[in-house]
Amino acid sequence: MVMIFIYVVLAVSLDLVMGWAGQVSFAHAAFFGIGAYTTAIMQRDFGTGFWLNLPAAMVMAGLCGFLLGLPALRLRGHFLAIVTIAFQTIVYLALSQWTSFTGGQYGIEVSSVSGFASIERFYYLAFGLSLATVVVSWLVTHSRLGMAWQAVRDDEVLAQAIGLNTTASKLAAFVLAAAFAGAAGVLVAHHIRGVTPDDFTILTSATIVAMVVIGGRGTVWGPLLGAVVFMALPELLGAAARYKLIIYGLLMIVMVTMMPQGVFGVWARRRQK
Amino acid sequence: MNSLNLFLQFLANGVVTGAAYVLVAIGLTLIFGILNVVNFAHGEFYMLGGYAAVTASAVLGFPLIPTLVVTVVFLAAFGMAAEWLVFRPISGRDPNNAIIASFGLSILLQNGALVVFGAQPQTWKTDLAELPVQLGPVFLTGQRVLIVLITVVLVAALLLVLRYTWTGRALRAMAQHPVIAQISGVNVRKVAVVTFAIASALSGIAGALMSSVFMVQPTSGAMLVMKAFTVVILGGMGSIGGTVLAGLGLGTVEAMVSGYVGNEIRDMIGFLLVILMLLVRPRGLFGQSTERS
Repeated sequence: MVMIFIYVVLAVSLDLVMGWAGQVSFAHAAFFGIGAYTTAIMQRDFGTGFWLNLPAAMVMAGLCGFLLGLPALRLRGHFLAIVTIAFQTIVYLALSQWTSFTGGQYGIEVSSVSGFASIERFYYLAFGLSLATVVVSWLVTHSRLGMAWQAVRDDEVLAQAIGLNTTASKLAAFVLAAAFAGAAGVLVAHHIRGVTPDDFTILTSATIVAMVVIGGRGTVWGPLLGAVVFMALPELLGAAARYKLIIYGLLMIVMVTMMPQGVFGVWARRRQK
Repeated sequence: MNSLNLFLQFLANGVVTGAAYVLVAIGLTLIFGILNVVNFAHGEFYMLGGYAAVTASAVLGFPLIPTLVVTVVFLAAFGMAAEWLVFRPISGRDPNNAIIASFGLSILLQNGALVVFGAQPQTWKTDLAELPVQLGPVFLTGQRVLIVLITVVLVAALLLVLRYTWTGRALRAMAQHPVIAQISGVNVRKVAVVTFAIASALSGIAGALMSSVFMVQPTSGAMLVMKAFTVVILGGMGSIGGTVLAGLGLGTVEAMVSGYVGNEIRDMIGFLLVILMLLVRPRGLFGQSTERS
């Protein structure tokens, strides 16, 4: 259950970039990993606790999002996708190869959150954070900034023409999404009591992308639904769980070819009619 | 071995790896240049090429040349099927959809291969694998020399086909201006199918040849496709000459870095180059101007 909440945070925040601002990012797991490693390294080296690590990791991930977004968001479509993948791969390689700092393939151990050590208490913590993400996302996307994102997504030239700073608004989406991914990283590090680089690969990124696409881009509820379904899927499949990734891949293809708005998008459109 | 000989050995190793990058990257750049599709599943065509060769030679007992022929035919058919099932339904829409769909295809094929062939790395054993070839101070196996030779032949053949045949002209016309090409009687669907067949076959040959030097495993395409993207971006999307130069260049640089600096940062070099290149000169060394911002 805790993992469902963590992926809700990831999917809903990635949707700010993919669904609302219309940019592709395959680097979400990199920010997730940066958050997780920030908390792990802070705890190891400075002995700080969860409540200090959380904002620190969010700032750190947001900062990395800013640094990546600053140059990358001037690029479009294919090129942006490739840069985010390159960034994702560099982060993964750094996490797995820089052994003295990140512990290499063995990762770093992280202790549980004091006061939230039991699984039930932690569950509420994760629930709270994912609720906060959904609420913030809903508020932001229904604000002026959210409208600016939609304008950029639908017609960037026009958005520029009416005086929007398109790069700044895309950057805002990127940084916000990265910060939330960092927060999810803090949660996962304390939840599984450790970090290893293999949790933050391009596959993780692709899974989050799949959740957003299948749930429905540009809707807060779609990615939420996508995350819940995806995380529950292995449990439901039972013996077929080893085919999990095959099914993910197949679903991504089928959804994009048949209903690119996603499940929730189709449902919302039906209701409007 | 003195330092010059060592340098030459690294150079030779780099050229061999670079040749494989070239074969894979040319397919990518064709698909992008002609169809404006970014195919993230291209590395899986390479991986399947490796498995096709291993299966044809180990299970069916084919010798070298028929194995390569089988690989080419299988991968060309596979490329056509991928075009028909995945890329045709989404053509002409948001290019991001093609990225996501090909990523899905990549995950599907990787894990499909994991189920079918298992995670154990496999090798295509050929008679040439142990045959030593000495060129001055440099030692290579026959297999490695074969990779370079085949790459040279295929690239030359491809350039001739593009230059002098009707199909080649149609492909180039599509790359330059799809609408006018269509008006002039180019069958767009056929061009798309042919492009995918050629690109997939080239990538498959590379995979088959490399599976005899390195091993083939379900994830072996994943890193390679990233390298191929690096090459395509450095050389310029859509430019075959640029791709050849950048492919050999990347292979050489990587061999030098892993030889002199260390294996750990070898894989990072390319990605850093890509990010730099996209910032400084997004159309690559030899690319035509592409939209950027």
